[in-house]
Amino acid sequence: MHELLLYGQVPAPRHDQVLKILAGVAALQPRRLLARHIIYKPQRAPDEPGSHLRRGGTQAIGGKNHKQPVAKDLYYSQLVQKLSEEDLNRSGPQPSNGSSSTGGTGSGAEPKWTIEFQDVPDTGDRGVSIRMTTSTGILSGDPHAYMLSNGPNQFMSEYYVEGHQIVHGNVVVFLHRVLHDSSGTSPKANLPKFTELKPFDPSGAYILEAKVQVQEFNNTNVLEAGVDELKRFQSQMKGCVELSVPDRLSLDTRVKYKAAAPSSKKAQPGAR
Amino acid sequence: MSGAGTTTEVALRPWPAPVNQALSKEAIHSQIGQLAAERGHLRGITEKALHEEIATGKDAPKETTGQDEEDGEAATHEKKNEPTTIEKLEDIFRAKVDMVSALNVVAWNAAGALDLVALMLSRDPTKVLDNSFSAHFKAQNVPKGAFGVDRGTPPDRSDQHDESLRNAEDERRHQLVARGSSMDALDWATDNILKAATELETGVRKETKYWAEIMSISEKGWSIQRSRRGVRHAPFAVRYGHSEASDHFKARGLAPLRMDRDGSIILDPALALKPKVLRVRISDHGRVTGTSKLPSKGEVTELALENSIQLARDSFFEEDLYHEMCLESRQLVAYGVEIRDSAIHIVSPSLSNPATHRTIMIDCILREETSQGSHEQPLDWLAQNVAEALRFLLAHEHRMRRFQRSQLPHPLTQQKRTTRTPPLLRTLLSVFSHVNAVNSVSAYLAVLARTFSSAGIGCSLQVTGESSWKKLTTLIRESTRKDISAVDQLFEVFTKHLDGVVTLSLPSSSGAEPEVITIATRTYIGPPTFGAEHKVTIPPSMASVLNLSSDQKRDFKFSSSEGVTSYLDWILSLDLTHSLLLELYRGRATLQSKEPQITIGSKVGKRPIDKDVTIEVADGELRASLKHSSEHDSSGREGTFVWDGSNGQPTLQAMVKSWVG
Repeated sequence: MHELLLYGQVPAPRHDQVLKILAGVAALQPRRLLARHIIYKPQRAPDEPGSHLRRGGTQAIGGKNHKQPVAKDLYYSQLVQKLSEEDLNRSGPQPSNGSSSTGGTGSGAEPKWTIEFQDVPDTGDRGVSIRMTTSTGILSGDPHAYMLSNGPNQFMSEYYVEGHQIVHGNVVVFLHRVLHDSSGTSPKANLPKFTELKPFDPSGAYILEAKVQVQEFNNTNVLEAGVDELKRFQSQMKGCVELSVPDRLSLDTRVKYKAAAPSSKKAQPGAR
Repeated sequence: MSGAGTTTEVALRPWPAPVNQALSKEAIHSQIGQLAAERGHLRGITEKALHEEIATGKDAPKETTGQDEEDGEAATHEKKNEPTTIEKLEDIFRAKVDMVSALNVVAWNAAGALDLVALMLSRDPTKVLDNSFSAHFKAQNVPKGAFGVDRGTPPDRSDQHDESLRNAEDERRHQLVARGSSMDALDWATDNILKAATELETGVRKETKYWAEIMSISEKGWSIQRSRRGVRHAPFAVRYGHSEASDHFKARGLAPLRMDRDGSIILDPALALKPKVLRVRISDHGRVTGTSKLPSKGEVTELALENSIQLARDSFFEEDLYHEMCLESRQLVAYGVEIRDSAIHIVSPSLSNPATHRTIMIDCILREETSQGSHEQPLDWLAQNVAEALRFLLAHEHRMRRFQRSQLPHPLTQQKRTTRTPPLLRTLLSVFSHVNAVNSVSAYLAVLARTFSSAGIGCSLQVTGESSWKKLTTLIRESTRKDISAVDQLFEVFTKHLDGVVTLSLPSSSGAEPEVITIATRTYIGPPTFGAEHKVTIPPSMASVLNLSSDQKRDFKFSSSEGVTSYLDWILSLDLTHSLLLELYRGRATLQSKEPQITIGSKVGKRPIDKDVTIEVADGELRASLKHSSEHDSSGREGTFVWDGSNGQPTLQAMVKSWVG
């Protein structure tokens, strides 16, 4: 599945106003969403760029073109947990069978945990940012243990997202901000209180994300229809929020190669 | 001149000269010289003296009169030679020099004036003035247009008395005129200001009234919105349509609030349409036996506009409802739904009496028409309930559309999503046919159970009309879907398929856990059942009676209740003979066929006699008949007994015992 994206910034004092405008535009009441994102990084260090290229002479028998193995990029991936208000306002410790550690939900209900992967945005210039994403719902089991063994990955950091979602036609508008807490070495078993979380942006500004999901990416008509709808929304919001294409590399989810010490760089909570 | 030489009497007169032309310098000089030569001096020469001289004949010397100028000059030369005085000549010469110099000055001034005028005119480049400048001026090389002239203030002449008097008079007049005109202007300005004030006042009154009405509309809860730009006199519009109505109606649900001359709001044509209302009628055999009432009007407000907005909204809803049902009725022709005379006709058997040919007619009529003929009819309640149910269903559909809209959209694909028509008539039909189907089966079984109990056969009946209706409250309480309101969950129960269960315990089985026949009724207008369907599940013991293998399915589907009842009749009679009586007369009874007939051997005297007992269950009656299997023997009785549920009848066992011993 592919996502067409546009981003805008809303300063904290304008948040309520913009939310009202969005509700008016979409003729719907916004839905409050809370989510917890846990970022994982592959344990393997990425190959040195260009290391796959042939160096020096070769002893291979001539005439045969051996395909050079392409160095595979390594990506950050993340685990998203849907939260409710009660999850972050609970005073005591989490119940032992709490949903913080297991993804088990009843059949038919929406999964609480999802594994999300986002590719680097396309290089094409259509006026919107296009990237490939996959989202896999976890119906049962321990998501964290799965993520660690699958890869194998290592825990990087976690952050929380709070905001409102409004659906306008095929455009999903998400007015949100990133909150964070002092991070440890593993996901917290007990969720922090909502009041303890601090905005990642100290000014408390909000991000407006407008997203259209496209299933048949290779079909030009479908893609054009999605891009058009997103751009129509962009022009509709002109004067209220300026929606723009984000810098492609700021949405890079690849693990950077570091020549010297094994990378201990912290993943940016905003890098998604 | 002509013949002058002949006469001596010649008058001295000046040389005729052009009137306008002054004598030239040389001519003056020569004349003065001539005069001095003639007379010796110029003193004493006046007009009078000259006249006298002419009169007396004493004249100038003869030789000069009538002569040519050469002659005159010659004469003067002669005179010069005369010894008058040398001073005289000197005086004359001096005067001549003075005169020449004065003339020079004059000529120079004139040339200067000409130069000045020419220089002034030379500002105009079209004028060719080169010849007008004097040589002296040309030599100075003054650029053309270097000198200009303009009108300035006139020189002050106040020193002159009359001038000042006249000025004072002018001044006074000017002041008078100025005062008059300023009074005029003030008058005009006052008028204008007053006019503007009244205009402003009416404007304020207009706006106040308009805004008061807008406020009153807004306070009643109508959603007011800015109308598009370019609509004059209507800055606001009221949205009275439902936001989730179908596209055709969504566009209609907006009326601009126009301002009329005195500020009140003009009724928009959309609001002034005659309101319509849905009418449901029940007709039995073509006779109308029930009509739905007018929906309640809500609270009455004093403002005509609000009333009409409300009426428009109600009418809008009813029209939308009718429109949706018309669309839906096209898919339901197979179910006996048709549109005739712009009314939807639904054929539905009466709930109480299936034989009745009952039709539900739904149409959309003008609101005024409903007031006539409001006499009570027996089935008004049914019509009213049907109408209310349809309205509730559409409202539910609207809410569900909004809910659907708020959900995450599906990723874009090429496939178009089909929008289904809301199940309004389908729900109505399925509820009717379900209740009908379950009721007809259970009513029949209730009669049968009474008959059986009167015949001394134990058999219990359990009826569940609709399984989900039974546990409605727990269903809603335990629901995990928090984002759908309880009312909508309630309606969702109705729009899904309906399940009814009737269980009847087998007469042959008794005890704590009797074996039961289950008749499950499932109704859905659409695939897979396309209406009501009964599923009869028979217990394992019955399966062995029917010689079904163990792996065969023990449930049978019937689409009509008649099929179910006749099947049940057969099954029950089989059960009575093949299980109950067989068990009762174990050892004596044999089964001859698969018919509900049992042959029981008995001994009358020494001869064994086989007696056939046939059990028949039909139309809620239990019929047992005794027949002798061997024709030659007619000693025994033949008889039939019918149990119809009335009390005081012997039991089946007793009856059979009395027959077979």
